[in-house]
Parts: sequence; structure tokens; C-alpha cells
Amino acid sequence: METAYFAIFIGGIFVNNFVLSQSLGICPFLGVSKKTETALGMGLAVIFVMALSSLFTYIVYTWILTPLNIQYIQTIAFILIIASFVQLVEMVLKKFSPSLYGALGVYLPLITTNCAVLGVTLLNVQESYNILEAFLNGLFSGVGFTLAILLLAGIRERLVKSDIPESFKGFPITLIAAAVLSMAFTAFSGMLGG
Amino acid sequence: MSGMDIFITIITPLGILFAIALVFGVILSYAGKKLEVKVDEKEEEVLSLLANANCGACGYPGCSGFAKALCEGKAELNMCSATPGENKKKIAGILGIDAGDTGEKRIVVACGGGLICKDKFEYIGYEDCAMALQTAGGNKACSNGCMGFGNCAKVCPSQAIDIKDNRAEINSNCTKCQSCVKTCPIHIIKAIPENAKVYIKCSSHKKGKEVMDVCKSGCIACGMCVRTCPSGAIVMEDNLPVINYDKCTGCGACADKCPTKCIAKLD
Repeated sequence: METAYFAIFIGGIFVNNFVLSQSLGICPFLGVSKKTETALGMGLAVIFVMALSSLFTYIVYTWILTPLNIQYIQTIAFILIIASFVQLVEMVLKKFSPSLYGALGVYLPLITTNCAVLGVTLLNVQESYNILEAFLNGLFSGVGFTLAILLLAGIRERLVKSDIPESFKGFPITLIAAAVLSMAFTAFSGMLGG
Repeated sequence: MSGMDIFITIITPLGILFAIALVFGVILSYAGKKLEVKVDEKEEEVLSLLANANCGACGYPGCSGFAKALCEGKAELNMCSATPGENKKKIAGILGIDAGDTGEKRIVVACGGGLICKDKFEYIGYEDCAMALQTAGGNKACSNGCMGFGNCAKVCPSQAIDIKDNRAEINSNCTKCQSCVKTCPIHIIKAIPENAKVYIKCSSHKKGKEVMDVCKSGCIACGMCVRTCPSGAIVMEDNLPVINYDKCTGCGACADKCPTKCIAKLD
């Protein structure tokens, strides 16, 4: 049993890292990774939304949708739940950290359409996790996202100070950095013996 | 499948979705009350009048940040170039501040040379101002003379620049986007206040004799405009007059007196 949780932990953060291995949630990954500070804020918001929406979508799916045999509305129902959590995060941030709220800008409401979040909830269903596994998968996938965005933000902060050829400045070099980062993460694949 | 079954098949998912939405709606509205952040009414009003382009050119994160800074008196209206002038006046009214210079610009080419200005050599090459400039400092005898290859016209999104007689001219299509101002490699396209009545049609900081040798329409730094101006709005800086548009009344005396007619009147 413990091995299953450990597999989710390693899988969510390294092996099946949402951004670097599955290419999901690229929009905020590139959009808010200019500074480590905002990247961390974004990562924490995503962790919160992923973990709680995993939990709630599991509850809704298992105890509402499945008994009524209407699993086909899962996508729309899940989006509804995710959107609600994003709204909640937005309110909390606006109240307690206006500067972070301002820095995240339009990317905060965009967590709603962050495919990584919807992806994790749908994967929970696909992998038929139990409630704890689903919650942990959401949590660790969020941690994985945070790790990826923090790494890229760290690289980008250094890139600003480096002498980059004119034509590579800005997004091109960022995409290259993201690609190299993603290649590094392929080293983890196969770790779960899958 | 009877009619009732079909009805149930349709109504169940809809009902469930509605129920989920309702539950979360209630939670969110409660949270909204609890976590309410007081937004200044003034701020909202100002925000609605701003361009809401969220371009960030003012240096604040989006228009809401700018509106906040405006209300706190930290920002100036003219930091925004996207908001139309009339809206700025309304905002100034709301905030009880002077609209002053609303930041509206007018684009002028500060060179009257063109064909009048002598060539240093014949440039045969790619027709591009920046490249011509790389070739021994440009083909014009005056280092501040328009070379007329039209880099400005190429970047202009609204075809507002014509090259006439080897010199760029701004026409009425201009939207004041200032792309040309940024592009011109010798920086002779300038943005001046919208209400300006006169402008200096020369950018040469050379002495009178040197200017006279190469261009009949350049500023020779005689200082006539400085002496003529009844409101003291013109000062001579580095062999070129500078007009203080806050003081300028637009009488046009300087343009009338200028011996080389390098001060031009605007309508």
C-alpha cells in the first residue's frame, strides 16, 4: 500500500511531471516564470487548486456521477469545480496578497483552463484511484508543476543577465531552456518500472 | 425507451450540474462576502474610462493597477498613451486634478533637408536608412539629415509616411503610435505635444557655418527665434533651439522671423 503512495509521489513530481513530461499547463509555465517569486506563488495556487479539485472531483464522480450513470458529464462537472476553486484562490489572494494578485494577473483566472488541472482530475478517474490516492496525485502533480515552473524561473532569471544572441532573446531562449529541462526529466522515465 | 425515460436522461445530468453549480455558487458568494476587498468607487470609475488595453506601458500591472495609482496620486495621466484625450479629461474631472498635457502627441520630422541637403557621396546599396548609416555615417552631408530610404515608412502600420523629395513626411493617416520615432536610426522623427503650433524642422547640433555649407534649410543657430519669442519659450541648447511647449502661445513669431525657415508652423 505504501509503495502505491510512494509511486504517486515520485510519479507526480518527477516521472510524469505534468509540464515537462506530459506537456500540459504550458501557458502559465511560460507566462509566469519570469521571476521565481511569482512562479512560486503560481505554483502554490496550482497545488491548492489541483489537490482540492482532485478531492472534490473524486467525490462528485464516485458518489454522484457514477450511481446516476452519467459519467459522461465529467469534463463539464470537473471544470465547474475547478473554476470554483480558482475563484476562491483569486479572492483569497486579492485579500491577503494584492501584490502577488497583481503579478499573476490574467494567469490566475487562467488556471481554470490550465489543462494540467483538468488533466489530473481526469487521470484520477482513468487510473481508478481511491480517494486518498486521488488527493495525493493532485497534490504531488501540483508540486511537480511548482518544481518545473520554479526551475524555469530560476533559469530565466539568469538568462536575463547572460549575453544571448539578439534573435534568441525573450521567448526563443525560454523555449529552448524549457526543452532542455524537459529532456533532463526524461531521465526519470522508467523509474516506476512502467 | 418511453418519453419519461428520455426526459429523465436529459434532466438528470442537467439537474446534477445545476446542483453542483448552486452549491459552489453559494460557497463562493459567502466567501466573496467574507473576503471582500473594498474597491474605491473612484477607482472603478477611473478604470472604466481608461483604455483597458492592459498594455502595461505605464509600468503598472494592467489598467487596474494604473487606476489605483492614479487615485492615490502616484501616477500621472499622461503616462498612458492609449486612453483617448476626452476620457482623460473626464478622469481628471473625477480626480479633481488638472488634465494638463493629456499626453496626446503629434509626430513631426525634424529635418527640412531632403533634396535641399547635399549628399556626401552617392550611396549605392540596399535602400535602408540603418544600412546607409553604417556606410561612412550615411550619404548625407548632414549627419542629422533624413536619408529618405524610408525605414519609418516601412514600419508605419497605417501608411502615414510618404517619402517626398528624399525626405519623410507624415500625412493625416498618422495614429501617433510612434513606431517611426523608435525606428529612425538618426532619431529625427519626434513626438511633440498635440497642441504644439510650431516645431524645429532641423536636428543638427552643428555650428551655423557647417550647417550652411551643406543645407539651406538647416538651423544656423542665429538665435533670432530666442530673441523674438514674446513669451520666452525658446532657449538655444547646443546650437539648436528648444521650444518649451508649456510656455509657447503659438503666436508664430519665431517661424516668421527664422532666416532659414527651419521653424515650421503647424495647423
